[in-house]
Amino acid sequence: MKFIVILAFVSLLMCSANAEEKKETLVLLDNLATRETHSIFFKNLQDRDFKLTFKLADDAGLVLSKYGEYLYQNLIVFAPSVEEFGGSISVESITEFIDNGGNVLVAGSSTSGDAIRELASECGFEIDEENAAVIDHLNFDALLDKGDHTTIVASPKNLIDSEIIVGGKNIKPLLYRGTGIIADRENPLILPLLTADSTAYSYVPDSPIKEYPHAVGKGTILIAALQARNNARIVFSGSLYFFSDEAIMSIVKKVNDNTVHDQSGNINVINSISRWVFGENGQIRVASVKHHKEGEKEPPASYTILEPVVYTIEIEQLIDGKWKPFVANDVQLEFVRIDPFVRVTLKSIGGGKYQAKFKIPDVYGVYQFKVDYDRVGLNHLYSTTQVSVRPLTHTQYERFIPSAYPYYASAFSMMFGVFVFSFVFLYFKDKPEKAEVEKKTN
Amino acid sequence: MTETLIKSKNPNRVTSHAGISSLIVFSVLLMCWIAGFASRLFAVIRFESIIHEFDPWFNYRATAYMVQHGFYKFLNWFDERAWYPLGRIVGGTVYPGLMITSGGIHWLLHLLHIPVHIRDICVFLAPIFSGLTAISTYLLTKELWNTGAGLFAASFIAIVPGYISRSVAGSYDNEGIAIFALQFTYYLWVKSVKTGSIFWAASAALSYFYMVSAWGGYVFIINLIPLHVFVLLIMNRYSHRLFTSYTTFYILGLICSMQIPFVGFQPIRTSEHMAASGVFALLVAVGALKHLQTVLTKQEFKRLFIFGGLAAAAVVFLTVVGLTMAGVIAPWSGRFYSLWDTGYAKIHIPIIASVSEHQPTTWFSFFFDLHILVCTFPVGLWYAIKKINDERVFVVLYAISAVYFAGVMVRLMLTLTPVVCILAGVGFSGLLEVFLKEDQQPVNKEETENEEPTEKKLYDKAGKIKPRKHDSNKSENKGLGSNVKSMVVIAIMMILMMFAVHCTWVTSNAYSSPSIVLAFYNQGDGTRNILDDFREAYYWLSQNTNDDARVMSWWDYGYQIAGMANRTTLVDNNTWNNSHIALVGKAMSSPEEKAYEIMTSLDVDYVLVIFGGVIGYSGDDINKFLWMVRIAEGEHPKDIRESDFFTERGEFRVDNEGAPALLNCLMYKLSYYRFGDLKLDYRGPAGYDRTRNAVIGNKDFDLTYLEEAYTSEHWLVRIYRVKKPHEFNRPALKTDERVVSASEYITKKTSKRRKGVIKNRPTVIKGKRTATKEKTN
Repeated sequence: MKFIVILAFVSLLMCSANAEEKKETLVLLDNLATRETHSIFFKNLQDRDFKLTFKLADDAGLVLSKYGEYLYQNLIVFAPSVEEFGGSISVESITEFIDNGGNVLVAGSSTSGDAIRELASECGFEIDEENAAVIDHLNFDALLDKGDHTTIVASPKNLIDSEIIVGGKNIKPLLYRGTGIIADRENPLILPLLTADSTAYSYVPDSPIKEYPHAVGKGTILIAALQARNNARIVFSGSLYFFSDEAIMSIVKKVNDNTVHDQSGNINVINSISRWVFGENGQIRVASVKHHKEGEKEPPASYTILEPVVYTIEIEQLIDGKWKPFVANDVQLEFVRIDPFVRVTLKSIGGGKYQAKFKIPDVYGVYQFKVDYDRVGLNHLYSTTQVSVRPLTHTQYERFIPSAYPYYASAFSMMFGVFVFSFVFLYFKDKPEKAEVEKKTN
Repeated sequence: MTETLIKSKNPNRVTSHAGISSLIVFSVLLMCWIAGFASRLFAVIRFESIIHEFDPWFNYRATAYMVQHGFYKFLNWFDERAWYPLGRIVGGTVYPGLMITSGGIHWLLHLLHIPVHIRDICVFLAPIFSGLTAISTYLLTKELWNTGAGLFAASFIAIVPGYISRSVAGSYDNEGIAIFALQFTYYLWVKSVKTGSIFWAASAALSYFYMVSAWGGYVFIINLIPLHVFVLLIMNRYSHRLFTSYTTFYILGLICSMQIPFVGFQPIRTSEHMAASGVFALLVAVGALKHLQTVLTKQEFKRLFIFGGLAAAAVVFLTVVGLTMAGVIAPWSGRFYSLWDTGYAKIHIPIIASVSEHQPTTWFSFFFDLHILVCTFPVGLWYAIKKINDERVFVVLYAISAVYFAGVMVRLMLTLTPVVCILAGVGFSGLLEVFLKEDQQPVNKEETENEEPTEKKLYDKAGKIKPRKHDSNKSENKGLGSNVKSMVVIAIMMILMMFAVHCTWVTSNAYSSPSIVLAFYNQGDGTRNILDDFREAYYWLSQNTNDDARVMSWWDYGYQIAGMANRTTLVDNNTWNNSHIALVGKAMSSPEEKAYEIMTSLDVDYVLVIFGGVIGYSGDDINKFLWMVRIAEGEHPKDIRESDFFTERGEFRVDNEGAPALLNCLMYKLSYYRFGDLKLDYRGPAGYDRTRNAVIGNKDFDLTYLEEAYTSEHWLVRIYRVKKPHEFNRPALKTDERVVSASEYITKKTSKRRKGVIKNRPTVIKGKRTATKEKTN
């Protein structure tokens, strides 16, 4: 069996289906008071079987891993002003944690420290300058704002178009107070979860504007996410306030708008995002890959050109801690040898199984069945199966083709003719001569 | 009574004489075989029983596959480990004669319960076949001249370096058996021309079939024999013998050759083979005319000859041109063009020119490979021309064409060597006939032990040839005293001895290196050091990489990687797909990030480069690099330009004056990665390349997309792992790309103080103590 199944990118760390297992989470704070001011968020997490360990960000005893094994699966950094992490945690160790599949939720503020900035740029974001805040003179909260228009009311319409990450958009307005995030435009992995309105910009509130702000309008990202290539998820919020009890519970009244909401929509977004970032949502994986010739059950050692082939892939999705069949209608299969020779949309045949039937092209070589399913919010599903496609063997070519019959006829008639000719030549010529000789001698 | 006695004695004497001469012939040929076999064993004795070089590794792998899986599996073998991801149909792209021969020997030996490993058969196949070559050379020369010349030629070909170069033990290549097939086909052809027998012509066709199955050089036969026929026709030497032998040979040979899958329809569809069919048509036409001549009157015949001949010639010519234009007959292939225009390949097909074997021959190598024979073979040629007959026309044509081709390509030295041996044999035998004629006895005593084959030959020849030469040379020889004769004979003996010494020396020093194991001698004590880096690295690959790992290297090493490490390769020595090779060349000559795109599109897992800078090995990849650039430029002229890799003064140099494109390309980086830190000796500077005698220009660089996986002991083979896309997990923002300028934060953590720093940390105000202090102050 020479076919190889590579099920890459499905992070094992996050996939543990055992819901009973407590999900170890480290929470780094710059002030233990945050634990109280953000209690709703933490309570929600704990209700969802997260085991939270609260530590001060500068604690000298901080460790992420021991003996090469990570003690935590998730990390929450609610310490905007940290300049340097304590203990063995540093920006490098956190990025390493991400590269090994760990999920990170980070919240900054207008006074973000260097550690947060470094961490952000490691992930392809930037946090705006020190003391800069997102200002929106048209969309601030009339009740909570202190006059600098930094407590803004973000419209749920500006949420990213992905229900898996942020939940439904039909929610109450969101309260936000903090700095803006600038995303690396060339980074294809970044998802702007929440952007500011077109009237917003990010600048230091009290100082006169001398330079063009770094982030203006919708380019000002409030909450950004990154799904790394190993499917580790990172969410950066420019506002720690966004997660606070105050923001969740406050009455929202946008300026110049008479509608009063008794509560902000923050809680919905916070819950959805935290589900997504900690891998409770949007997880899919390949359960099995099968391919064989039509009418057979086992994959052959190698295919022959022009054979009909059946490819089946089973995809599962994590729903409420259990792997269940995944439903979609846009999964595509490519049959690739450097370039794709065949590209078909897989048909769902029920039970999360998707199937494609096609004829192998008339080109031999080493091919790959490739399913590359990358959708916003879902983790990257990538499965390749290498098979070789060989040319016809010497016994497989068509024989006795009609167009060859004239040649067969000519060959056999020639053979016959030569035989007759030689027969005549040998016996016809000699006799008269002999007869003559005989006559003469006689 | 006396009469009867004499009569009965005479046959006795004749038989005993014939018996002695055949005994001599037999023993000389046997000794040729033994000497030829023994002198090819240097490599086995010095190193081990191992397959050499590059192509033999594929032949060995294919043979082992055939022995293991059977012939039909081999015929249908689709090798998915070569030319990834294209694959290679091995059965249809090899000349299977070599594999079948050694497979057959293996089968026979195992039938006799002699358990020999297939590798040993492969290693010793070429030396064994050298004996057969000697015998067929003997037979051919005997047909052309006489037994004495034949024995000379046999002993020459047994040890001549030009042939040994391709047939030492371990050099398991097509040429090893093809030269035998070549000589044997020629022998049978000459025999059939002489006798005009269908039997010999059919035998020649069968031998030709074997040759076709063994080597692409069969094209030489199928052009030389028609040329022979054509020249004979021009010389008005048409005969029924010629007609019978050529028509039989051509038709049978054509049908047989088309049975080889690799050859297929080429004999009727390519220009290289058209001469044979043209001559066939011509011969039939001439035969018909000769027949008509006997039937018609002179006047009628003349008219018919002129009109019919012209019309026939025009029809044949136009047909060929028309078919070529229509694409039915393929035009000359590039390799063939390069035989006529030596500059052609370099401009149009760099891949052919890049092979060292395809370079024009230097004068030096003629002497190196043939020694004294190159001087004496014109003598033999002159003898042959002087006493021309049908079959000597053949050898003259053979000699002239082979000399030309050997001058064009080093590799074709191989086809020249046999004819040189034949004609040198004729030359020597002619010389010795003159000088050994009368006084055989003294010469016999003078002969030395070293030259046993030649000795016997001389003895034999002198006795046998005497009567024939007697009349023609009588008057000249009378003038020569015995002293002059013996001096000349001694001089010839000396020359032949020196020839033997030269052959042994060349074989030992030049042609017996397996080239996968390098040896060098310490200057001080003369002890031998073995550099086994190649096998070390291939073994590493086979043990430490995935079974399906794909290794990219320059095509030279493809067969070795497949044979020794058993890993998938992208390109190999079967250079059938120029664009795929060009793609590898492009990856090697591009900067790292562009190369990475190519490598990921080809699913490359490892890159292997050969680097000789540490030990001064000149055959490394940097020295071959310009060919990679040229081949890449041929397919991707927009991306790769050869001129970018030269300095402004047109030099190719790796030091700090080198072209920037060179100093930043993948091949340079892979070769010199970490080399800038290496000091080879205490006095010299770091990063001193011994092969190119320069301090490298770009010392300080890191690899982004690859990482060093393995470097062999003497840095000869370096293997790099290509990082997978998911290893570039998060595209981080580099400091200089940021919009918000980063502050330079200096860590305050020490090994003891592990506490972090929080800005604006809410400080606990410790009650009134400070206040009281202030107050007291």
